[in-house]
Amino acid sequence: MASHGIKDKVAIVGMACTPFREHWDKGADDLLIEASQGAITSTGIALDDIDAFWLGTAQTGMSGITLSAPLKLTGKPVTRVENYCASGSEALRQAAYAVASGAYDVAMAIGVEKVKDSGYQGLNAFPIPNDGTNRTLTAAAMFSLVAPAYANKYGVDEDELKLVLARIASKNHFNGARNPLAQFRKEVDVDTICSAMPVAGRLGVFDCAGVADGAAAAIVVRAEDAHRYTDSPLYIKALSFVAGSGSGLIDPDYDYTTFPEIVQCAADAYAQAGVSDPRHQIAMAEVHDCFTPTELVLMEDLGFSERGHAWTDVNAGVFALDGELPVNPDGGLKSFGHPVGASGLRMHYENWLQLRGKAPEDRQIVLDPTRPYGLVQNLGGYPGEMVCFMSILGTEPG
Amino acid sequence: MADAPRFDLPTIEAESAEFWAGMREGKLLLRRCGDCGALHYYPRPFCPECWSEDVSWQPACGKATLYTHSTVFVNDLPPFNEQVPYVAAVVDLEEGPRMMTQIIDCAVEDLEIGMPLEMTFREVTDEVSIAVFRPAGA
Repeated sequence: MASHGIKDKVAIVGMACTPFREHWDKGADDLLIEASQGAITSTGIALDDIDAFWLGTAQTGMSGITLSAPLKLTGKPVTRVENYCASGSEALRQAAYAVASGAYDVAMAIGVEKVKDSGYQGLNAFPIPNDGTNRTLTAAAMFSLVAPAYANKYGVDEDELKLVLARIASKNHFNGARNPLAQFRKEVDVDTICSAMPVAGRLGVFDCAGVADGAAAAIVVRAEDAHRYTDSPLYIKALSFVAGSGSGLIDPDYDYTTFPEIVQCAADAYAQAGVSDPRHQIAMAEVHDCFTPTELVLMEDLGFSERGHAWTDVNAGVFALDGELPVNPDGGLKSFGHPVGASGLRMHYENWLQLRGKAPEDRQIVLDPTRPYGLVQNLGGYPGEMVCFMSILGTEPG
Repeated sequence: MADAPRFDLPTIEAESAEFWAGMREGKLLLRRCGDCGALHYYPRPFCPECWSEDVSWQPACGKATLYTHSTVFVNDLPPFNEQVPYVAAVVDLEEGPRMMTQIIDCAVEDLEIGMPLEMTFREVTDEVSIAVFRPAGA
């Protein structure tokens, strides 16, 4: 038993992402058509050239028909997958394995979420636990539990930690301001973030991801076929996934300063790709910054920062657009917005642009041959009860 | 007109009826395993450590310490939308198990990780009471 991975066996040969917005004038069908048309145009193929489809969505549709109806697909295998906020990445994972196996030659992974004008702000809650207490915690509150625990464990003053978290949000707003597809395209300074309306614990409204509608799509083929479609494919170096047992919520040993599922998922991804020193080998990372404490802890769980030192690395600008290891150069969930089923593919879209040197000039990172890898980390759930997806990508095979 | 939906009430089932009866009487019932001795919460019909079904009720002493906390300022779900802000917390019971609860009678700035807490009960309806905590000796 082992995770063998499919290093360099599959390549992404086309991608597209819709603007993430409050799309009051568009339904899920419109967003799926826009993203899929964009992806096939990017690949230079026709819709009928695609052999199989995987659709990731948390709550916008139940089956493959959510995609096959608007695309008018007939006689094609179309599958809807769901894995919390990692649903879009899950679609990519299935599509990649499908072409790697030889079952199909060309597959589409597409993700969508229509969260506005559903009658709710955001998605309807997942089933309410039956102990009369858990629903007292909003999503923001669950992730905010990390901040006091982290401050206490590492001796960081809580007011200082508040500033650190604000610097994460401000960095992601800075990046999003350079991204025409992002929901929020304005720089926001640390003072504004710190004085914003409180939401949960020390988190204010600027510590929370944007709630947006959107879709994103990728076309994958076996690596040996990639140059039939593009001169600049993006090779999949690793795909890993971990679903936790959910025991953290009731486990007195769980300390709320790390997400064990992510540590495990990262170890698998790095082993598959052959990454031994992520801080110095990764060119950029798209990570799941649903709330600012999440991004802080992820820097340690992904091995970018030593334990207890992510906050000093944030203060030193390590993860800024012009820093040593840019994190969320597209603005992240914070600024790009979080249409749940689309977000994982959106993270790949930024790698698709950046690693191939095709990002808009004002946010293109400097490509350095000693850092050949891009990274996607996409989670679902909450501290103590989490699923995690990771991929590692690169423009050169082998 | 039907009552507005609310999201703070449990569905009381045969397996949990005694637990909720305990709450009404001012007791937080943990479960102890007759085979391995482990205590657990929330109560299950088997021991999560050794899978024994020889489990019995044991009231918690009511002492706990604060592990971490979050003051909830925004929650759209009724009736929490009328209760904000409130302090949601993870506490470690003196007996060992951890629970999610609320802290009452404590200003946010006075919350301190590791602070000693004592249990009290809040009557939610005639049938449902829940255990909440406040600073010890407050």
